[in-house]
Amino acid sequence: MDFLRPTSWRDALEAKAHHPDATPIAGGTDVMVEINFDHRRPTSLLDLTGIDELASWSEHGGKLRIGAGLPYTRLIDELGDRLPGLAIAARTVGSPQIRNRGTLGGNLASASPAGDGHPPLLASGAEVEVESVRGTRLLPVEEFFTGVKRHALASDELISAVHIAPATGAQQFSKIGTRNAMVIAVCTFAIALHPERQRVGTGLGSAAPTPLRAIEAEEFLSGELADSGQWDSPRPLDDSVVRQFGDLVARAASPIDDVRSTADYRTHALGVMARRTLGWVWDEYRNHPSSTGRPECA
Amino acid sequence: MTAIPTTPGTEPELGRARKRKEDARLITGSTRWTDNMALPGMLHLAVLRSPIAHARIASIDADEARRMSGVQAVLTGRDLADEQGSLPCAWPITEDMKSPQAPPMAVDEVHFAGEVVAVVAARSAAEARDALDAIDVDYEDLPVVLDMESALADDSPLVHSDLGTNRNATWTFDSAEAGTGGDVEQALADAEVRVERTFRQQRLIPAFMEPRSVVVDPTGEQFTMWSATQVPHILRTMLAMTLGVPEQKIRVIAPDVGGGFGGKLQVTPEEVITFLLARRLGRPVKWTESRSETMVSAHHGRDQVQKLALSARRDGTVTGLKVELLADMGAYLRLVSPGVPILGALMFNSIYKFPAYHFTCTNVFTNKTPTDAYRGAGRPEATFAIERMMDELAAELDMDPLELRRKNWIGRDEFPFTTIAGLTYDSGDYEAATDRALELFGYRQLREEQARRREQGDTVQLGIGVSTFTEMCGLAPSRVLGSLSYGAGGWEHAQIRVLPTGKVEVVTGVSPHGQGHVTAWSQIVAERLGVPFDDVEVLHGDTQSSPRGLDTYGSRSLAVGGVAAVHAADKVIEKAKTIAAHLLECSEDDLEFSGGRFGVRGTDQGTGLADVALAAFAAHDLPEGIEPNLDAEASFDPENFSFPHGTHLCATEVDTETGAVRIRSYVCVDDVGTVVNPLIVEGQVHGGLAQGIAQALYEEAVHDEDGTLTTATFADYLVPSAADLPEFTTDRTETRATSNPLGVKGVGEAGTIASTPAVVNAVVDALRPLGVDDVEMPCSPQRVWRAITGTRTSSDTAAEAGGGLGSMDTGGGFAAGSQGGSR
Repeated sequence: MDFLRPTSWRDALEAKAHHPDATPIAGGTDVMVEINFDHRRPTSLLDLTGIDELASWSEHGGKLRIGAGLPYTRLIDELGDRLPGLAIAARTVGSPQIRNRGTLGGNLASASPAGDGHPPLLASGAEVEVESVRGTRLLPVEEFFTGVKRHALASDELISAVHIAPATGAQQFSKIGTRNAMVIAVCTFAIALHPERQRVGTGLGSAAPTPLRAIEAEEFLSGELADSGQWDSPRPLDDSVVRQFGDLVARAASPIDDVRSTADYRTHALGVMARRTLGWVWDEYRNHPSSTGRPECA
Repeated sequence: MTAIPTTPGTEPELGRARKRKEDARLITGSTRWTDNMALPGMLHLAVLRSPIAHARIASIDADEARRMSGVQAVLTGRDLADEQGSLPCAWPITEDMKSPQAPPMAVDEVHFAGEVVAVVAARSAAEARDALDAIDVDYEDLPVVLDMESALADDSPLVHSDLGTNRNATWTFDSAEAGTGGDVEQALADAEVRVERTFRQQRLIPAFMEPRSVVVDPTGEQFTMWSATQVPHILRTMLAMTLGVPEQKIRVIAPDVGGGFGGKLQVTPEEVITFLLARRLGRPVKWTESRSETMVSAHHGRDQVQKLALSARRDGTVTGLKVELLADMGAYLRLVSPGVPILGALMFNSIYKFPAYHFTCTNVFTNKTPTDAYRGAGRPEATFAIERMMDELAAELDMDPLELRRKNWIGRDEFPFTTIAGLTYDSGDYEAATDRALELFGYRQLREEQARRREQGDTVQLGIGVSTFTEMCGLAPSRVLGSLSYGAGGWEHAQIRVLPTGKVEVVTGVSPHGQGHVTAWSQIVAERLGVPFDDVEVLHGDTQSSPRGLDTYGSRSLAVGGVAAVHAADKVIEKAKTIAAHLLECSEDDLEFSGGRFGVRGTDQGTGLADVALAAFAAHDLPEGIEPNLDAEASFDPENFSFPHGTHLCATEVDTETGAVRIRSYVCVDDVGTVVNPLIVEGQVHGGLAQGIAQALYEEAVHDEDGTLTTATFADYLVPSAADLPEFTTDRTETRATSNPLGVKGVGEAGTIASTPAVVNAVVDALRPLGVDDVEMPCSPQRVWRAITGTRTSSDTAAEAGGGLGSMDTGGGFAAGSQGGSR
């Protein structure tokens, strides 16, 4: 097995262009597990941990650009106040040791339907910046996932960053697992309020072959809130609205039976999480319409 | 490290919360784990395991592996067939028990996924591991037997065709036949109230921290084996008996051992194979397993189906208990496999005065990893079932579950009490422990909150679970073990040597692997001999330095081994007294021993133990017939088990929408008799609670329909972390055991035995108004939700405990050869 260790982003792109089979490795929290279990035998590993700029973030034109190699721990500490939904999800990843190693870029590259980082990115309308020696492109995150553990990267491309707008309204993330930590999610749900656009964003994990948005649920709720003028003068939501939202989220899912759960339970739990997180973000919006979200975990 | 200065007499050693002597070394990494051993010329062993649960081995091609770099030998079961013998089972529970041949390495057939089929010895561990991939095994599938009930059907395929049955043995106790009580069928027929339930004890894995490891050095006069074992003495004897090697030519050392929980109470295939390889190659050989090897091949625990029927009168008085068990042995009988459920036979009646009792257990073979002892071994199963039944009866009668227990338990003035199962409980005070637990728990306030939440139809319901447990431990009176057909006795041995400088060496036959025996034994002997704590050295775990012993399991070390040390200390004092009287020219009757000093009554004359030791060492002037030196040894065989007990109360918040369970508070009040070191006791209780709660809520070994273990990593087998456990409120009451001079009962298993039913009772209690009367363990969110909705699983094969790494889908995790499951 070849081990490639570029020290600059340019070298990394060159290496990937010359070794399209190379498996990029950042924190190694997914790749090393797969190698250890012989699920994957890469001909070469492309180690991205030597590239300092990949583990940094910056702000341009009102959007945050998060380097693909930024570990979860730094994401929580440095951006948690502006990306509360993503921070809540990041706090549920693995253990402190794994959060010190694991990165958002790695999470995207694994493209697992159960990736904890994906639902908040979907709910916030994030974009994935991918790059090769041929150039750079920005993909809406929902176009990034193409199947179970499959994504839209060409063989010479690497994930360079995620572009995401800081929260303008309350955000939440909820996860069901069979243990509180160090467990792969049975299912996850993220919600984000976008008052400036009068929109609601959603993201579902472990609910289908890819992470996905519940678009009908978003349309329904955004429409209800706009029609009733709730964005400007928020009132408690009707039970029927909350229930309908939960049902539409559950209906967006097409989960499977697997070792972690049955499909029935996943569908049911997604509906429950959708209703609850909606209740939390809406309460917060009513009380502090200008606040950006709840930093603490659900 | 600086020693804590001790002034004898300021604070008694017994009962003192000393920090553990052994920890400074352990936590700074100065440890001697077996895997740390490196000997000149040592080879490394790697093990190829069957990925298939039941198959005939058609052929094994190892030619390519033999040619690989660093490889010194590749051996299959066929190569060792004439010398490997059959792994021992020391507990033939019935005369007609069916016992399959258990070769350490499979020869013609594999009977569970994880069984050893070939081994490689190479110059490095990595070369040995790599060579496994080049071994090509051709398997011919045989039908797989997984479910116990169908395994007993007449038309079931057989795990071992030569046995003609999947039934290992059936063991029965009946109070009418034994003359200890009435006829249970009559009691059930006459019952005013009858409760019948079937409980499932899921399969568990003793997840000790240090994976197993063994090193064998054949180059000396003796074979020396270092092993991560709980049982060096048993291992030595069993190796000699299994392999026909003269026992004096084997020395077994258990160096630092990182946990066991019964999982290292075993004579393992790998220990025998490593021994044989070292002997054959004439070089030291080491084997250390990966975590996934532990999960698939180290023995599992529990795995029973428990069918119970309980009869009672309308006023709550219990009148009879009938227990019918199926116990899964897995594919082979290991050291004490068949006896584990039998250890529970005498415990189902627990602290209650049942007038009629019947127990029967059928042990069944399946194509799964063998089961054997796991923390509590038989007693957690019994305690779970009876405590669940008491709560079910209370619900049936609309009585408070604690009131029901009070009505039926043995009163504090009724000890000693001979139970329906024929055991004599020497001491206890269930009232005191329960009253204290209720006070700490705030029982009444929680019941009020529960009523409020029920009334309001709160999404999150509160449940309160009770477990008033007892256990038999301090294994064990040898005559009782004999009557249960166990293959050995239950005594323990100690030696005390007072060195010429007055320092003390204590040799013990128990074999600690995390319990803190070195500290506790130092306290016991320091107190007894009146010497400073730091002057006592405790030697253990080496059959050379500690020649007699039966090792550590069954909460026996203190109650049996600690007491042997007390007896040995008393013999030292007795001998020293004779010499002291001679030196002081007085009568022995005039001497009193206190604080390490023999004083002549009524005078200020006297002499210290150290002076006597030096005189006994010099031997210039000893009384007639007295041998030099102040050494003594003692073997202690207890006359009875000890019976710790306690009351555990658990409050859970159950989310009725998601099924998630949160333990809100947990209170336990344990009576473990006299306490030597409260800090160590507290640690044992915390760890025990964590393991018991883990069974209730998290852990399960899940097999798929082919018999592949799908929970073979810690991402899939859900050992709880601190984030999953509540803060424990613990306290103790104390009644002395009357069966030993220390008054100690044992604490290693109490927390595990008591806590599982407390948690499940709390979950069920929360949901009872919704019509739920049982939730299968582990009570995962999904299972709780299914219990609430009555929904059946949407797929028969969807297993529910896995964390979901799905690590084992290609026989992964352990090496399975180049065809990795070809058939």
